[in-house]
Amino acid sequence: MEASATTRLHQEVEASIGRLSTVLGWGAGYDPLHMTPLFVRSPEDIARLVWNPLCVQNLTGYLVKSPGVQPPEEGKKIGICVRGCDSRSLVALIQEKLISRENLYIIGIPCRGTVDIRRLMNESGLSNIRSVRIEKDLLIVDDANGAHNLPLERFLARRCLRCRHPNPVIHDVLLDEPVTPRTTAEDAYRDVESLEAQSLDQRRAFWSVELDRCLRCYACRNACPLCICQNRCIAETRDPRWLTQRVNLPEKFLYHFIHALHLAGRCTECGECERVCPMEIPVTLIKEKLNQITRDLLHYEAGLDPEAVPPLLTFNPAEAGI
Amino acid sequence: MSKQVFIPRDSLNQALERLSSKMNVWVPAASGSNKCGSEFVPYRPDLIPLLNRQTTTPPKAVVFPQVETLLSYEYTKDPDNPSRVKIQLDDTSAGSPTLIFGARPCDARGFLLFDQVFTRGPFTDKYYRDRRENSYFATLVCLEWDSACFCSSVGSGPTDMEGSDLRVTPLKDGYLVEALNERAEPILSLMEGDVPTDAQQQDARKLQEEASRQRVGNVDLTRSATDFKGRFEDKAYWRAMVSQCLSCGVCTFVCPTCYCFSITDEMQGLKGERLRSWDSCMFFQYTLEASGHNPRPTRFERYRNRVGHKFSFIPEKYNGMIGCCGCGRCIRSCPVSIDIRRVVENLKENACVCA
Repeated sequence: MEASATTRLHQEVEASIGRLSTVLGWGAGYDPLHMTPLFVRSPEDIARLVWNPLCVQNLTGYLVKSPGVQPPEEGKKIGICVRGCDSRSLVALIQEKLISRENLYIIGIPCRGTVDIRRLMNESGLSNIRSVRIEKDLLIVDDANGAHNLPLERFLARRCLRCRHPNPVIHDVLLDEPVTPRTTAEDAYRDVESLEAQSLDQRRAFWSVELDRCLRCYACRNACPLCICQNRCIAETRDPRWLTQRVNLPEKFLYHFIHALHLAGRCTECGECERVCPMEIPVTLIKEKLNQITRDLLHYEAGLDPEAVPPLLTFNPAEAGI
Repeated sequence: MSKQVFIPRDSLNQALERLSSKMNVWVPAASGSNKCGSEFVPYRPDLIPLLNRQTTTPPKAVVFPQVETLLSYEYTKDPDNPSRVKIQLDDTSAGSPTLIFGARPCDARGFLLFDQVFTRGPFTDKYYRDRRENSYFATLVCLEWDSACFCSSVGSGPTDMEGSDLRVTPLKDGYLVEALNERAEPILSLMEGDVPTDAQQQDARKLQEEASRQRVGNVDLTRSATDFKGRFEDKAYWRAMVSQCLSCGVCTFVCPTCYCFSITDEMQGLKGERLRSWDSCMFFQYTLEASGHNPRPTRFERYRNRVGHKFSFIPEKYNGMIGCCGCGRCIRSCPVSIDIRRVVENLKENACVCA
């Protein structure tokens, strides 16, 4: 399955590269488990493109963050590979006029979920991995102790287990047959709900322990395709100075809630913030809560309709939800 | 006094307990019940030291905290003449004896560079010096490495004990702990271990020899200074190598050798503190000048700085020392899996720079 998906991706990009200045996709990284974003700029690069459940990065941020992808040459477009979640980020960026749809050639990939590589390494006892193959629902890993058949399902990332939009919501070409969503909109907030079932003290203890481990490395912010303030982020500016350089809990708490509040009604739950956190803090949960509120109060789900206006980007005096 | 002891696996906590009554003891432990990673934490009796894997973050913060107060100050106004303001400063620093138990060669090695920067130049940083002089490293012979490790590529290796005070060799049913210098001997006595049997000593030697023959990392990154200079202006090279970089600070914060810092005054009312905090060359504010100009305006220049600093400027300044200990944390923690080995290896003129 993996081979054929990658082959189809190669064929698709070969057919379209004449009209594209760059294609954003994934390629092999430093070992067989790790893929890295790949910027295809010439036909020779195409063979290095890969698509499989180890392709974990959301590539859409490169379109808007400096010095990202060069603007397309006259008459050309930028090609980008998107899974369902990534396509929602694209929609949000289009809505906010940060990118224009006309400049994009969107290669949509229906996605069955991506692997939580950290958990895979931790729970499977793998060491010195030599090769990885994906066959149907199995990850076949060859390491120092021989071949291991690992069920993909067991190692899917949390964001994928709660995914309800595995199929790209916008695309110019679709690489595969659409897949059945894993959850419904009702089930998508189970993790938030189970946290909320705890007492206030328990929740405070939970977040104190989790957020206290934050390094303020800002990986969560920089990996977020919708965190677009870049060099003007108030987490770092000294003028105005909202946060000090201290690394105590209040500063970390404030930073994460600034991050989340700036994404209210915008976050498309791609889960990159949580994936990239070196300290494994479940920071997407905060954004999930805000999205749950947005859904319940404003009946809006981010990143689905390029024509829609996100509720917090407009003002309606007759707003009924609040 | 015996220079080596054997600590049976099930008495490790008692030994650490005895040590922690006399000094601060830091050990690697799981980051949480539902976490994959581990980190160095102060020893507690209920803690299970996790000695079979590298920690997510190195023990850098034990000796060089992420934030420290350099001085605290307070202004007082003269009630008779409010235009007169007195300022009081307190810049005391103190270190207390601290043992980092279960570090790995790469963890301990990071401080060799810190020593150069903070204690060997024309000025001595007393904050660092006071903690460093009071720090002891009990370092494991490393038997666990993965595809991101490359200590042998930077002139170190899994049995490198430079910068360590005690060597800990993990055996089947316990640990052989040896003092490597005089100052470590009192620590060894405090552990109150058994006298190692001949068989245990032999097993330990065998393990050390086997580990010392391992080559972790298959490239040589120790002679890249000239290559770096050749690539300095090569914009296409840096674009090809690090277009993926998100400019976050993970690589620098998990790095045992990254020492760049920022100094800020955090003031409220008439009182304040001058803080030193970890900086990162990946951040926009790094080298941002008061005029608003930044000589390293984009992530390409910033990543170039990271590579140049570690593999060119530091070796030139400190007699060939590489500013990288090969722990691989920057590779492992990078959100987009950038491989610094590849970036340095490809500096060579004829290397393929396809990206």
